[in-house]
Amino acid sequence: MFDLAAIGTAFVNLADPFTFLMLVLGIVLGLVIGILPGLGPPIAIALALPFTFYMEPVPSLVLLLAIYNAAIYGGSISAVAVGIPGTGAAIATVMDGNAMFKNGRGGEALGLSLTGSIIGGLISVLCLTFIAPVLATVAIKFGPREFLAISIFGLVVVVRVAGASLSKGLLMGGLGIFLTTWGLDELNGAERYTFGSYHLYEGIPLVPFLVGLFAVSEVLIGAEKALDKVRFDQTSLRVNLPGMKTLSRLKGNLMRSSLIGTIIGIIPGEGAAVAAFFAYSEEKRRSKTPEKFGTGIPDGIVAPETANNATVGGALIPTLTLGVPGSPAAAVLLGAFLIQGLAPGPTLFDERPDIMFSLFLGLFLINILLLFIGLVAIRFAAKLILVPMTVIVPTVLLLSVTGIYAVSNSLFNVGVLLGAGLLGYVVRKLGYSIAPLSIGFVLGHILENSLRQSITIADGSVAEFFNTPIGLGIYAALILTILWGPISDWLKSRNAGKVEDA
Amino acid sequence: MLSQRWSNIVFAILILIGAAWFAWVAQGFEAAGLLASSGLPSKFFPQLLLAGMAICAVIVLVVYLVKGAAGKNEDTHVYGSGAAALRGLSTLVAVVAGYFIWRTWGFEVMAVFIGPATLLTMGERNPVIYGIVLALAGGVYLVFTQLLGTQF
Repeated sequence: MFDLAAIGTAFVNLADPFTFLMLVLGIVLGLVIGILPGLGPPIAIALALPFTFYMEPVPSLVLLLAIYNAAIYGGSISAVAVGIPGTGAAIATVMDGNAMFKNGRGGEALGLSLTGSIIGGLISVLCLTFIAPVLATVAIKFGPREFLAISIFGLVVVVRVAGASLSKGLLMGGLGIFLTTWGLDELNGAERYTFGSYHLYEGIPLVPFLVGLFAVSEVLIGAEKALDKVRFDQTSLRVNLPGMKTLSRLKGNLMRSSLIGTIIGIIPGEGAAVAAFFAYSEEKRRSKTPEKFGTGIPDGIVAPETANNATVGGALIPTLTLGVPGSPAAAVLLGAFLIQGLAPGPTLFDERPDIMFSLFLGLFLINILLLFIGLVAIRFAAKLILVPMTVIVPTVLLLSVTGIYAVSNSLFNVGVLLGAGLLGYVVRKLGYSIAPLSIGFVLGHILENSLRQSITIADGSVAEFFNTPIGLGIYAALILTILWGPISDWLKSRNAGKVEDA
Repeated sequence: MLSQRWSNIVFAILILIGAAWFAWVAQGFEAAGLLASSGLPSKFFPQLLLAGMAICAVIVLVVYLVKGAAGKNEDTHVYGSGAAALRGLSTLVAVVAGYFIWRTWGFEVMAVFIGPATLLTMGERNPVIYGIVLALAGGVYLVFTQLLGTQF
C-alpha cells in the first residue's frame, strides 16, 4: 500500500526548486483570488489550468492544489473584514467573523480563521493519505457495473444538494451528461451531433467548457454589480494567532469540524460551503451558550473555517481513487490530470504512485506554508479587497480566452469557452446551479460507457445487471442518502411537536 | 423587469423544443461498418437523457405555471435593477463582439478592444481604471508571447 520507493521519489520531486516555487506561487495566487470577492476555488484553478500545459505533472498539480487550498482560506479574509465572503465556503464565517471584526477584535478573528483552516487542512490530508490508497486497492476491482453505480451516486448526490429544486438540478445534470454525447461514439464510431465540423469529432473539450462555465459566467454576473463600493476599517487587518490556552479550549471543536469537513468533502457535491454550515450548526447545537453564536465568538469562526479547508483532502479521495470529483473545484482539477495525460482512478495508484505521494506530501507542505504566507498576505488583503470589479472583469476575461487559446491554438476552443460562459450565465440567472452541470459533464463519458457495457454484460437480464455486491451497496447508500432528507425533516417535526406538548 | 417566473417558463419551453429536435437528429446516427451491430445503438444514451431532461423541463414548467416559483427564497426578478441588466447584457455583447474581432482582425486588436469595451458597458468613468486595465492586458500579452511562447 505504501510504496517506500515512491515516497522517496515524492520527497525528491518536492525538493525540486521549480516544484517548490510553484507550490509557493500557488498559495499566493490562491490567497489573492480567494480574497477577491466572487472568485472562488473553481475559478482560481480554471484560470491557472492553461499554464500547467507547459509543466511536468508534479509541479503543475502541486500548483493547482496550492491554489485550491489557499483560495478556500483566502475567502475567509474578506468574510471577516468586510462581511463579503470571497468564496461560498466562507459564507458561514461571516456571521461571527465579521461581528468580531466590528467589535474591534479583527486580529483575533483572522488568527482564529487561519489556525482553523490549517488544522482542518492537515487533518484532512492525513485522512486522504491513509484512506485513498486503501480505497484504490478496492476500486481496482471495479467493473462497468460498479462504475455505473458510483457515477449515478455522485451525480444524484450533487443534484440533491445543489439547489432547492430537484427537477432543476436533474435538468442541469442531464444537460451536462448530454453534452458529453457529442462527437464520435467511442464504442462504434458513429458521428453524433458533429454538425459536419471536424472540431467536434472528439466532443466538446473539457477544459474550455469548465473554464467558461465557472470563470466567464462569474465575471458576467460580476459586471452587473461592478460599481458597488466596498468600505471597511483597514486598521483592524492585523493577525493575532490564538495561544495554546485558546487552542486547548477549542480542541474538541477543531477535531469535530475537521472530521465533518473531511467526511462531507468525500461525498460528491457536498462542497466546502455545506461543510462549513454543518460544522457551525453542530457547534451551536453542542454549545451551552448557543445564543452567543453570531455575536462574534471564537467557536463560530473556528468551526466553519476548519471544516471548509478540511473538505479539500476529503474531496480528493473520490477524485483520485475513482475519478469521480468530490466538488466543482475537484472537477476542474480533473481537467489538469487529463492535460497531463493522466486518468485519475484506481489504476493511477498502481501506475504512478510517485505522483500520488508527491500530491499527499505537497498538500502537507501547502498547509504548513499557508500559515506563514497567510500571515503576510493578510497585511496586503486590504488593498486586494478594494480592487474594483471593473478591473477584475476584463482581466479575468482576457486571461481566460488567452489561456484557452494558448493550450489548444484553436479559436474553436475559445468559442466553446464563451458558449459555456453564456450557458452558465443564463442558467445561473434563472436560478439553476452549475454544480450538477459541471459534474455531469465530467462524469458523462464514464456513465455512458459503463451503462452500455453493463447492459451488454447483463445480456437482457435485470438480475445480472444488479448482480454486483459493491454496486448494490452503492445503490443502497444512494437510496439512504435520498431518504435521509425527508426522514430528518420528519424527525425534526416530531421532536418539535414533543417539545410543544411538553 | 424580466420576471423569474416567465423567464423560467420560456427557458423550459426552449429546453423541450431543443430536446425534441436533438432526439430527432439522433435518429440519424449511423455506426460504421462491422461495428454497427455491436452493443446498443448510438442514439440510445442521448435519447434516454433527452427524455429525462424533457420530463424535468415539464415539471419545472408546471411548477412555475402553478406555483410561480421553484425552490425556496427565489428572487422574483432575473435582474436586481434595470441598470444591472444593462451592464450584464451589454458586457455579454462586448465579449461576443471581442470574439468576432479576434477572428477578423487578430488577437492584438481584440486585447485592446475588450478591456475598454467592458469598462464602458459597466459604466466605469475613471480614466485611471482604463489605464490599469490596458496595462494588465499588455502584461497578459507579454507573459503569453514572451514567457510561454504562444503565437497568436
